[in-house]
Amino acid sequence: MVELVPSLLRQELARLAEDDLRLDGRGQWDGREVDLEINCLYNAEGSAKVVMGKTIVYAGVKFELRTPWPDRPAQGSLMCGAELRPVAHRKYEPGPPSPQSIELGRVVDRGIRESGCIDMESLCIVPGEKVWGVMIDIHVLSDGGNVFDACGLAAIAALRTAIVPAERFDVGEDYTLKVKGTPIMASFTRVGGRYVFDPSEEEELGGDERIHITLGDEGHLHSLQKGLRGVFTPAEFAEIFDVAHLRCAELRKLVATQEGN
Amino acid sequence: MGGYGDVKLLRDDGLRLDGRKLDEMRPVSIEAGILPAADGSAMVTQGLNVAVAAVYGPMEAHPRKIQRQDRAVIDVRYNMAPFSTSDRIRPGFNRRSREISKVTAEALESVVLCERYPRSKIRVEIEILAAEAGTRCAGLTAAAVALADAGIPMRDLIVGVASGKVEDIVVLDLDKAEDNYGQADLPVGILPNTGEIAFLQMDGDLSPDEYNLAMEYNFKAAAEIHEIMVDALKRRYEGGEN
Repeated sequence: MVELVPSLLRQELARLAEDDLRLDGRGQWDGREVDLEINCLYNAEGSAKVVMGKTIVYAGVKFELRTPWPDRPAQGSLMCGAELRPVAHRKYEPGPPSPQSIELGRVVDRGIRESGCIDMESLCIVPGEKVWGVMIDIHVLSDGGNVFDACGLAAIAALRTAIVPAERFDVGEDYTLKVKGTPIMASFTRVGGRYVFDPSEEEELGGDERIHITLGDEGHLHSLQKGLRGVFTPAEFAEIFDVAHLRCAELRKLVATQEGN
Repeated sequence: MGGYGDVKLLRDDGLRLDGRKLDEMRPVSIEAGILPAADGSAMVTQGLNVAVAAVYGPMEAHPRKIQRQDRAVIDVRYNMAPFSTSDRIRPGFNRRSREISKVTAEALESVVLCERYPRSKIRVEIEILAAEAGTRCAGLTAAAVALADAGIPMRDLIVGVASGKVEDIVVLDLDKAEDNYGQADLPVGILPNTGEIAFLQMDGDLSPDEYNLAMEYNFKAAAEIHEIMVDALKRRYEGGEN
């Protein structure tokens, strides 16, 4: 696709950044309001919907019985994928998974997997023969900016509500999937020369590179990713790393609040 | 990352299984201009890893929909040869190689003066011939040298380096066992002259302090590898062995 450079938008964003302002009036490190709904889809074993500004994503969890990988006979598996469907924006076209959606799915996957929140051995039914495969599928319905954080949040929230459908597969009684911890992603995009948290669609269009940070409950890093064209300094990273700790803690609390309802 | 503590990765004397110190990288050697057909090329060996990069272009951007009116695009294909690992890899692009190709291209676009070549494409092919952990970094280093070898103007080189964590200790440049059984991996692409970062990924578990130490190791290693890169390019253009 021929992407026309939105140079007027870039100029405007740079001008705003000089005065420490953003297009929608937020502060540099302010996120949009997040609306999280859990257990909202009937046929998914776990589900969540996240709305952040104009961004809307759903995540659903399904289980399957499968034979374990030969090198990990006593472990189940976890897979997380994301689809940026044409429904979500005029810039997305039908066809096989784009590099963008592959990156999105894999970054979310790593954050959850590497936090160790799922004990893979607890997913084993018969070693070497039968294990659970857990699949988190993320469906982006509207890309209004920062789909990464929306997808990360929807995925872990959905996972945390999941019920293992053992009865349907004839391997015992249904039980709640054990999930230790709530890894949360915080994303930053360079807009007008400086980083902002939770970029909007316009900020992404007129912005540069982005950095995604996934933190576990203890504030440990579980996944990092830099995307798009651009560079950053260690000092810039140190600053957004501090902000990430605050924002992740808030979102983790939101998940806990919803679960308490 | 594979798992925790089920395999011993540090010896009683505090050294690593292959005898390296915690902040010691595997030996690196680089050769520029190894592929006669390419406009630029390089081979990087790092420990047992062998990464080859070829650069073609700038050329007309095909298909047209990838064209940018204001700059060149860099089209990277990172590919592991079927024989590069102990179990044969099915040939072709998979999700892992697609993602690595994408973020590698974006890192390289951060240093190449793409604005000099509107509507064109620079093709960078990275072939991993032997893989023993750290191939995306070796591939990135090779690509940077190959771009320079092709005479494509750049703001800086990029050095691919990684640190990680094994048995709760931060170490530089994970080998295969450390990668399989370690606790974290932090591959980055560093601009050696400006100290900026153009490539960043991480998985596993790192505290903020461990992150800082891993980054310190990465910057130290990047300076060492940078010298080897410059040396390879000098040998190529000062009419050395090549």
